[in-house]
Amino acid sequence: MSNEKNIKAEDIFNPEHIVEKFWNGLKEGVVYARKCKECGAIEFPPHLACNTCGYHETEWTTLTGYGDLVTFVFTGVLNARLELEDLGLKYVCGEVALDGGPAINAVILGINKKKAREIKDKLPVRVRPVFYDMGRYTTLFFELDE
Amino acid sequence: MALTNVKLGKNLRSVSIVGVGATPFFDSITNDTYKGITNGELFGHAALDAMKDCGIEPRDVQFFYHGSANPYILFKAVSANMQVADWFGMRGKGSVAHSEGCCTGYIALEEAVMAVASGMYDCVLTGGCDMGKGMPDGNTPDHMRTALTAEIVFPDLDSLFDRAYGRYLGGGPGMNHDDWINFYAKENNMTPEQIDDILAHQAYYFRRNASLCPRAMKRETYDELAKAAGYDDVWEYMRSPYNPKMTQYLRTSSDSSVADGAAACIVVPTEIAHKFTDKPVEVLGIGASVLDAIVPHLEKKATAEAARQVYELTGLTPDDMDILYVNDFIGSSAFLAAEEVGYLPKGEGWKYVMDGRIAFDGDKPMNTNGGRTSYGHAFAASGLADIFEAVTQMRGEAGDRQVKKLPKHVFLRGFGGSQNVRCIILKAGF
Repeated sequence: MSNEKNIKAEDIFNPEHIVEKFWNGLKEGVVYARKCKECGAIEFPPHLACNTCGYHETEWTTLTGYGDLVTFVFTGVLNARLELEDLGLKYVCGEVALDGGPAINAVILGINKKKAREIKDKLPVRVRPVFYDMGRYTTLFFELDE
Repeated sequence: MALTNVKLGKNLRSVSIVGVGATPFFDSITNDTYKGITNGELFGHAALDAMKDCGIEPRDVQFFYHGSANPYILFKAVSANMQVADWFGMRGKGSVAHSEGCCTGYIALEEAVMAVASGMYDCVLTGGCDMGKGMPDGNTPDHMRTALTAEIVFPDLDSLFDRAYGRYLGGGPGMNHDDWINFYAKENNMTPEQIDDILAHQAYYFRRNASLCPRAMKRETYDELAKAAGYDDVWEYMRSPYNPKMTQYLRTSSDSSVADGAAACIVVPTEIAHKFTDKPVEVLGIGASVLDAIVPHLEKKATAEAARQVYELTGLTPDDMDILYVNDFIGSSAFLAAEEVGYLPKGEGWKYVMDGRIAFDGDKPMNTNGGRTSYGHAFAASGLADIFEAVTQMRGEAGDRQVKKLPKHVFLRGFGGSQNVRCIILKAGF
């Protein structure tokens, strides 16, 4: 007789909650990522498998959250980030190459038109993480590391 | 940061488009002729037109696809295929509903081609229908619709972006419109004023195409609009408050004109295509790439990858292409994608735009129906409206906007849903 009748779903599928861990990490000022067990590439934000080489397994690691701002744009009425507008934040959207990780599209706080003119010919420039409390969750933005 | 190791295989059997149908694109909220029209009726008209175009009846179609970019908001419907089937005589037959944002209309062709190429079906209808100007007016029958407001649309656009991470990090709205043009400007050392001028010229020539296309929604040329607004110089008008900036780079003339509409086509095995039409159009190949909006320069990267796949499969080169269609709901995408797929030379595509060579009567025609900014953008229907226009041009039936050289090969670059990309090559099979 098979004893499969006694096996519960939780016995065969009890996964770690990756998304939850990532967002809880930001609350504590930790930037979680995953590292491919085969090619070593950093998967950020963290997923199950590696999108660089296509290997099935990754493991936890952390990033500093520092990086280089490579390029950025201002938003207008068509592509504004409504949740940031509601908070009255000054921001741009740009490409940030994370130290030890990939480049991602990101939100960079505190850059107005004057500051943009100052830095546009100096790109890439250093940015540091901002763990921003959105109320029900904490997210990862960046600011110039001056 | 993404794999590029896909090598497309040949279909088990070649597939051709034999029938096309399309409604005009319009605003059913303000236009009394169309007020009260519904999803089933619109899709049904496009479907029946496609059947009529190849001389068949609904009884001859074996399977169909219904595409809608956002059926829940626009129609308050899930599994819309089931809800429209009875409108064109296909009750009880198999069908699928699908939704890939503004790329839906191109994926509609891909799915239908695979259904026939596999040998599973011999005659498949694929269509797209969206009514972007409105939404259901409460819990009422489908003819009762009300205007879709910015208060509803803009927050809902977040549903395009990855909810696990992207939309709450930097992968939501913000970079998606101007990322590529900003990258291009930097790479080619161009000023914002130069970019503004290029995009104005592109919009100008696409509107000229649309002015000659009876199904297009915006048909007044910019010369006419400038004159009506009191401008002698159309380029001054394009820089004026009549054409305000919507993003850092894009003015309203480079923004999509949201519309209502439907389009459809019929595909069959190429070996029997001549039974349906004297002018079948073979689908030579479809390359595909999908990147979420957190990936920098995703549109450029996905376009390059999908184009690589389809060129490799077909053995064709950009020089073989006679017309290019680009989903340009982000206006700058048009000439940028044209460069990326090699239709226009890298770093010099803008010169072709400035000289009007991308107009229907130029030597590098693009978006001969006017594209999203002028033909209009009924989301899922738009890709199939491009296919309708491509087939019409290949048949030599485009009237006043017929391109100079009868096209042998047409390239279509689909894009949407933050973001799916398809690169399609069609060949005149006659």
